[in-house]
Amino acid sequence: MLADAFEALKKFDWGTDLGVLTPIEEAVIAAHTDAGVSQDLENRLNAALKGDLSRDAHGYVCRKLAIIGTAASVPTLAGQLGGKEQSHMARYALERIDAPEAGAALRDALTTASGSQKIGVIGSLGSRRDPAAVAPLSKLLHADDPAIARSAALALGAIGTAESAAALQAALPSANGDRQYVIDALLSCAEALLASDKQGEATAIYKSLSGEQQPRLVRLAATRGLLACARKQA
Amino acid sequence: MALRVSRLGFGSACLFALAFLSAATLKADAQTDEFVQMIVKLIGDRDKEFRAAGLEQVRTAARGPALTQLFAAQLTKLDADGQIALLSALADRGDHAARAAVLDLLGSSHDENVRAGAIRVLGRLGESQDLPLLIKSLSAGSQVEQAAARRSLIEIPGETVNQALAADLLSESSSAKGALLDVLATRRASGQAPAFLAAIVDDNARVRRSAMAALGQIGRPEQIAPMLAGVLKARKGYERDAAEKNVALVCERIENPDQRGAALIEALNTVDAAHRDELLSLLGRVGGKKLIDFVAAIATGPDGARRQLGIDALSKWPDASVADTLLEIITKASDPAERGQAFRGYVKVSANRDGRSDKERLDRLKQAMKAAKTPEETTLVINRVRTAYDIDSVRFVLPYVDQPQFAQIACETIVEIAHHREVRDPNKAEMDKALDKVIATSKDAVVVERANRYKRGETWQRPGREAR
Repeated sequence: MLADAFEALKKFDWGTDLGVLTPIEEAVIAAHTDAGVSQDLENRLNAALKGDLSRDAHGYVCRKLAIIGTAASVPTLAGQLGGKEQSHMARYALERIDAPEAGAALRDALTTASGSQKIGVIGSLGSRRDPAAVAPLSKLLHADDPAIARSAALALGAIGTAESAAALQAALPSANGDRQYVIDALLSCAEALLASDKQGEATAIYKSLSGEQQPRLVRLAATRGLLACARKQA
Repeated sequence: MALRVSRLGFGSACLFALAFLSAATLKADAQTDEFVQMIVKLIGDRDKEFRAAGLEQVRTAARGPALTQLFAAQLTKLDADGQIALLSALADRGDHAARAAVLDLLGSSHDENVRAGAIRVLGRLGESQDLPLLIKSLSAGSQVEQAAARRSLIEIPGETVNQALAADLLSESSSAKGALLDVLATRRASGQAPAFLAAIVDDNARVRRSAMAALGQIGRPEQIAPMLAGVLKARKGYERDAAEKNVALVCERIENPDQRGAALIEALNTVDAAHRDELLSLLGRVGGKKLIDFVAAIATGPDGARRQLGIDALSKWPDASVADTLLEIITKASDPAERGQAFRGYVKVSANRDGRSDKERLDRLKQAMKAAKTPEETTLVINRVRTAYDIDSVRFVLPYVDQPQFAQIACETIVEIAHHREVRDPNKAEMDKALDKVIATSKDAVVVERANRYKRGETWQRPGREAR
């Protein structure tokens, strides 16, 4: 049955009846409680991923790997990060695979991917809130491509650690043209720090943004943040 | 030796713990102080959004009466907009410690909006000793202050508030009786009936109307009899009608219709006989089988003046249960005026949309048509047939389109019935034919336009509906 479904997957495309893939869906459910089923299914999905799949079928496989994937799937997915059509769904899976190898693969891709694929990889590292990505992302804050610099700042904001905040603070004076995205990222960092009870670090960020030289809305956001910090400490 | 060392160790530990706790407390105090200072600074900010950030903390954080007083003390340092905003935040904070500062501001401000804001806060933070001030504000000061006082008196909590308001109402000097009555009614102060009942016979019509309206909302069946004095005191016309309706509302609180009628008759018997007839139309508003015989006896009795009052009462009946009685009067009355009055009443109750079917309504109106003697009476019946949403009503009225003196009213009635899609759609062919006749006959452009729209399956909006 499962083999038939994977055969059907080879011809699967938009508009095909999803019913033919039901055995795969059932295997995904069974994989939660049966390690053997999980490993077999992951092997099959990886094998399928290496074959010639339609874009819809590729997306289907990646969605399943996002649920049951392990470090074993990372090499296959990582190999697709540079592909124009495959990169997005490969990242979708890698963002969700709870294995350090997935983070490492994404970090490695920072040096190999380019253009919008690179921006996507940066975003995925932010989504994973990967502290190990702070250093490589910090370097990208000064990238010539403003879209890359902006994505790196937002990813650092999403990671939300004291280290990412320090990198953003350091980049603020020299940020190209529009500095707003660095400020947005810093505010995200401060929120994350406050949520993890690091009021001191959060307060320092908010104070740095509450000066009269800052735009009104930034000062307002910083003031609200300072109040939230003070309230938590009081 | 070992014990001594142990004791020394314990003492040191205690001292260390004490020092640690003191340091922690001091740090916490400093942090609280910083937080409070930040709020105070923001309250005074001229930028509304920064100020709002501070006021949000006043509403929800930094609790305690001392801090409430500190925040309230900022009132005098702010401009009018800031004062109003802080007053609202203090009200939401709900700490009575702000009351004194609010009263001070109320006494010193010359800005009516600030004073209104302070009055509104007293509704949340005030005490019974603030009632005289709030009552005074109901009639003194600007309209915004009066409105604020009204809201505050409605909201101010306390078991004795209703009694205090009622006591003021009963005092001769009260200058805001009407507003106080509205407040008591909104507070559902049903325990203060004596004050309401005293006010229904007040010389001031506004006070009487408010008192009757209040009793209409919260009155109990045992207050029906004393309310009749209010009906008699009310001026004929709008005030009398409203007073009667308020008594009818209280009557409706008696679930059993027969008991409702009995209670009203009992109440009537408490009224001086000379005034009883004046209350007959009230019986019509209440309705019920028990009252039909009572009123019918008067409407067919020997006294001409009382007969008129009885017929008037029957004509006001809320349903068609008196239709046969009125029909009998139509057929037997020797006085043309009396007959005409009964005829109009019969048509009125027959056309009532009181839960009967459209067929039943139409049958009653067909009987009325048989009894009609003048063109005016025929016109009246054709007009009211529009209350029976049925294709048979169209069939009944259609022949009158050919009679010039009734053509226009018949055309209007047909388009009114055609307005109802549930009549129009299942009988499209027949209805279109009738509408064609209307289009060919009517001289009224609106009627013709409506007929054309209904033929096309379109709707029509009654003029003025958008404005409502």
